[in-house]
Amino acid sequence: MNTHPYIRAFLSGIFVPTLLLPLLLAGFVLLRLVLRAPFPIERGLIFPMALAPVLWGLWSMLWLRSHAQTGLPLGVHGAILPFLMLPGGTLIGRHVGILVLGARSVTWFEAVRIPYALIGCAFAFAVVAYYLAWKYIVGTLNRVLGIA
Amino acid sequence: MNENEQTRMRNLLRQALPPVESTAAGEAEPRRDLWPAVLRRLDAPPPRVPWFDWALLAGIAALIAIFPAWIPVLLYYL
Repeated sequence: MNTHPYIRAFLSGIFVPTLLLPLLLAGFVLLRLVLRAPFPIERGLIFPMALAPVLWGLWSMLWLRSHAQTGLPLGVHGAILPFLMLPGGTLIGRHVGILVLGARSVTWFEAVRIPYALIGCAFAFAVVAYYLAWKYIVGTLNRVLGIA
Repeated sequence: MNENEQTRMRNLLRQALPPVESTAAGEAEPRRDLWPAVLRRLDAPPPRVPWFDWALLAGIAALIAIFPAWIPVLLYYL
């Protein structure tokens, strides 16, 4: 099976965020339509529901294209992605008004406040989660699809 | 549908769907039997998870337990 490796790489990349989409949608319906949360959460859905899956897919294609030269393991390659996702998501979040940068903390959805001192910890958490997801989930899919 | 109609339908179907003589690659069948390779892949043991990956996973679980409010933020960044 040597045809269309980049399409297969894209599909294995979008697998994880696509699985989480129904969860996000269920959370949105529950909070906004059932519990009538006053904050317009839908403004923030464009990043996780539209852009993040595409970024994952393109990142997977980039690994397929570059790993012969770089020799970077898939998990490490995936762990680099949060360094793009964090500024991208923050920029979009600020633009659509779901994220407020305060003097001592960042506030998401007018509800979740993370002090700057803990942002590094949260970011490290994201990097580790990405490392594991890429190494074990995307890696397994790559093997199944015959591109690893 | 009587027998004549059945025969006519069969002939029409045969004309519409000619037998497969060759694939796009010019071969009717693969050069070798692929089934043993599929069985080998299915029987292959799952890759071993090193201890530090288990430690990282435990760290993530601990952080979620300590800061459950971070979950929506992490889902936002995915």
